[in-house]
Amino acid sequence: MGAISVDLAVNGLITGLFYALMAIGLSLIFGILRIVNFAHGEFYMVGAYAYTLIALGLGVPVWVALPLAFLFGALVGWITERTLMRPLYAGYTSWGLMRDEYAVIVTFGLSLFLINLVDKVIGPYAYRGPPLVDASRIVLGPVLISGHRLLAAGIAIAVILITAALIKWSFWGKQIRAVSQNRLGASLAGIDTARASSIVFMLSGGLAAFSGALLSPVINASPDVGAFPAIKSYIIVVLGGMGSVPGSIVASLALGIIESFGAVYLSYQYRDGFGLILLMLFLLFRPQGLFGEKGREV
Amino acid sequence: MSASETPLHSGGADKRSVASTSTGKSAVEFRAAIAFLIVIALIPAVVRNDYWLGVLIVSMYFAILTGAWNLLAGYTGQFSLAPATFAMIGAYATGLLCTAFGVPPLLGIVAAILIAGLTGLILGRIVLRLTGPYLALTTLSFAEIMRLVASNSIDITRGDLGLAVPGLLSSRIGWYYIFVGVLAFLLVALYALLRSKAGLFLQAIRDDEVAAARSGVDVVFWKTAAFALSAAASGFAGALYAHFAELVTPELGLIGQTGLIVSMAVIGGMGTLAGPLIAAFLVYVLSEWLRDVGGYQLVVFSALVVIFARFFREGLWGLARGAMQRWRRS
Amino acid sequence: MSLLSVRGIVKRYGGLTAVDGASFDIDAGELVGLIGPNGSGKTTLLNILSGLAEPDGGEILLDGAPCHGLKPEQLAHRGVMRMFQLTRVFRRMNVIDNLLVAGRALGLDGAEALNRADTLIEELRLDAVRALDAGQLSGGQMKLLEFGVCFMVPPRIALLDEPFAAVHPTMKEIMGGFIRSRHEQGQTFILVSHDMPVIVELCPRAVCMNAGKVIIDAPTRTVLSNADVIEAYLGGQAA
Ligand SMILES: Nc1ncnc2c1ncn2[C@@H]1O[C@H](COP(=O)(O)OP(=O)(O)O)[C@@H](O)[C@H]1O
Ligand SMILES: [Mg+2]
Repeated sequence: MGAISVDLAVNGLITGLFYALMAIGLSLIFGILRIVNFAHGEFYMVGAYAYTLIALGLGVPVWVALPLAFLFGALVGWITERTLMRPLYAGYTSWGLMRDEYAVIVTFGLSLFLINLVDKVIGPYAYRGPPLVDASRIVLGPVLISGHRLLAAGIAIAVILITAALIKWSFWGKQIRAVSQNRLGASLAGIDTARASSIVFMLSGGLAAFSGALLSPVINASPDVGAFPAIKSYIIVVLGGMGSVPGSIVASLALGIIESFGAVYLSYQYRDGFGLILLMLFLLFRPQGLFGEKGREV
Repeated sequence: MSASETPLHSGGADKRSVASTSTGKSAVEFRAAIAFLIVIALIPAVVRNDYWLGVLIVSMYFAILTGAWNLLAGYTGQFSLAPATFAMIGAYATGLLCTAFGVPPLLGIVAAILIAGLTGLILGRIVLRLTGPYLALTTLSFAEIMRLVASNSIDITRGDLGLAVPGLLSSRIGWYYIFVGVLAFLLVALYALLRSKAGLFLQAIRDDEVAAARSGVDVVFWKTAAFALSAAASGFAGALYAHFAELVTPELGLIGQTGLIVSMAVIGGMGTLAGPLIAAFLVYVLSEWLRDVGGYQLVVFSALVVIFARFFREGLWGLARGAMQRWRRS
Repeated sequence: MSLLSVRGIVKRYGGLTAVDGASFDIDAGELVGLIGPNGSGKTTLLNILSGLAEPDGGEILLDGAPCHGLKPEQLAHRGVMRMFQLTRVFRRMNVIDNLLVAGRALGLDGAEALNRADTLIEELRLDAVRALDAGQLSGGQMKLLEFGVCFMVPPRIALLDEPFAAVHPTMKEIMGGFIRSRHEQGQTFILVSHDMPVIVELCPRAVCMNAGKVIIDAPTRTVLSNADVIEAYLGGQAA
């Protein structure tokens, strides 16, 4: 493998880490409610702004602003769940919109709302978030990488591992997995399914906001900054098998690498199109994702 | 419409069933929609300002797109997130035919309808088995891919710079009535479709595909047909718009445009004839007006979408109908 | 030649064999009760007969011609109409439109479909709710409506899956009477039910399944006094 390939692979993997941080929350929400949250990108956007404005506007140290961005995203996630997601548990079949349509419309509408609200209140201009460290480019053998990006990648790994561990071993993590597997069964077993959904939305909002904050020095905060990571998350959630957290982590890294090499060897202009094509192909021919077993036919 | 529908019109002859079929319900909506269109057609008698006529023309563009999406999403239950894409396809189809091959605009528009309809048919066939979030994601990807293609094929489309398209006529009033005519034609066509057995079948598919198949409905055929017709009508709107604006850009296919279309349908009332039509004008005209007073229009409308979806699922039309019924009872 | 021949149908879900070589024949004009404990494969068999599931083995003949692999709508056009155990109606369409869908799809013209719908609504006593959306009906009314859909165009064979479950006695009465009178006119049925008194009253012949197999196929009284049948029911859920 030549030096260029190593550089592409490392940078692709790092991009993939950021994708994973972003996509885990979307996957968790799909797991527990069987919906795609089309406002997921706006959770990211909220985090990017929270971090940037708190750090720059209030002069708070970046290491404080970063967890605050997480909390801010969690708050938005919590409000979203409490105000808009509750009808989903009721099935929504009696009249008017059906369940799936409701979920698409209401999250799509929320996405437009948050984008336009920020656009009016804060303004359409991009704000550059302060980097975590000032070190400029670091050269590691054949790999050229900025200090911030390297540090952010390390943090992303840590947060992903913590999240995965929480979901696997913590009390609420187990509850969430139980509800995701069988909502009715879990509720019969005495699990508070509404609380589990709330927690998922908080975690999802927090993680997306955290990635927004982490990347804000690279991709500046602007009202529609979430559109791009949101689309990546959709792709990843489909590739990883809708609702599977380990699947989405692997899919994120794979997508990062595919894009990194694809941009050089296939087409730079269409680097954002590869994933979209994969998404369509997967939904059509392998809806269970990369590793999932073929689900029962409905 | 086939002669077999006539018993539905036969007034008091069979009072048991006339008003209670959905075709009976949509007759009221159709009358309301036509009355509204007549008002729209009369507006130039009062408003001669080019700017506001332009706003109304764009409203009509969106009214067509909203109606087309309503056929697919509101009546057939296929939640596509690509309605703006078909407008973009229609616009580029006629634009490229006219500029690159010197095709006359009228022929270009006809070709655009066919090309958009065929693309819709193919997409409809491809996504046949997908529902809910899977369908939404697939159509969203399709939309993004198409937009990427349009903005990256710089040699052909001139990318984000946009393609200059020959105009059709220079009179604003002329354009105004072209749009009124097309909108009226499509409204009548939609109404005729919904009153025929197709209307029954599409709504049956929306409510329960398995039950529709059990009842003998050819689900594959009708679902694909809904995709194709919706796409063709959207392509028609896009092609007209291309010659009106004399410019085509990939922005026509932005997901935000789809957002506007969805907003209009949801606020008006999905699965109703008059609601989305009226809401298209309401939303677009109000947003142009609000732009002058603070520019909060998009915030307001996106909030309304969420609020309507959450609390008033039948939209403005449903609210109006409810109010009418309460008023009649008292 | 019998109207419907079920020959060695097998259906597996993973390791579980839901239908395990079921065979029986049904002649035109018969009204056959299909009974068996929960999970014995009755619904799965009806799914296969109505084109909603592919059998893993065996064949089905309709009027002597193989008909598996046909789609549900194709089977509907050949006169196989099916009522679901979990009620399926068009919830956002009103009662009359629910009926019209089947009428128009199966080739009636508008006026004829409307006439038949009106007659059925009267026969099934749904007059009071004719203009309501199906989603607003009670569970029993929905069952009646779905029942009506099966008879918009008299089918060659009606497959009814637990039509009486959780239905008010009055409505049960209506459906029972309807089945009896249509049977007298020569309509063919398979009737799945847990309601033994109704099966005894309506069906001259019964087929009993257990663990995917047909354990007995005989006149209803014989079936109900059969030791294996009693054992199947009393023995609880078959493994
Ligand atoms: N789609 C399916 N996937 C997996 N197992 C199924 C499916 N449908 C039915 N089964 C299983 O097949 C067996 C037969 O079920 P069913 O036909 O519904 O029985 P019945 O209608 O006689 O109560 C049951 O054990 C059931 O759990
Ligand atoms: Mg059953």
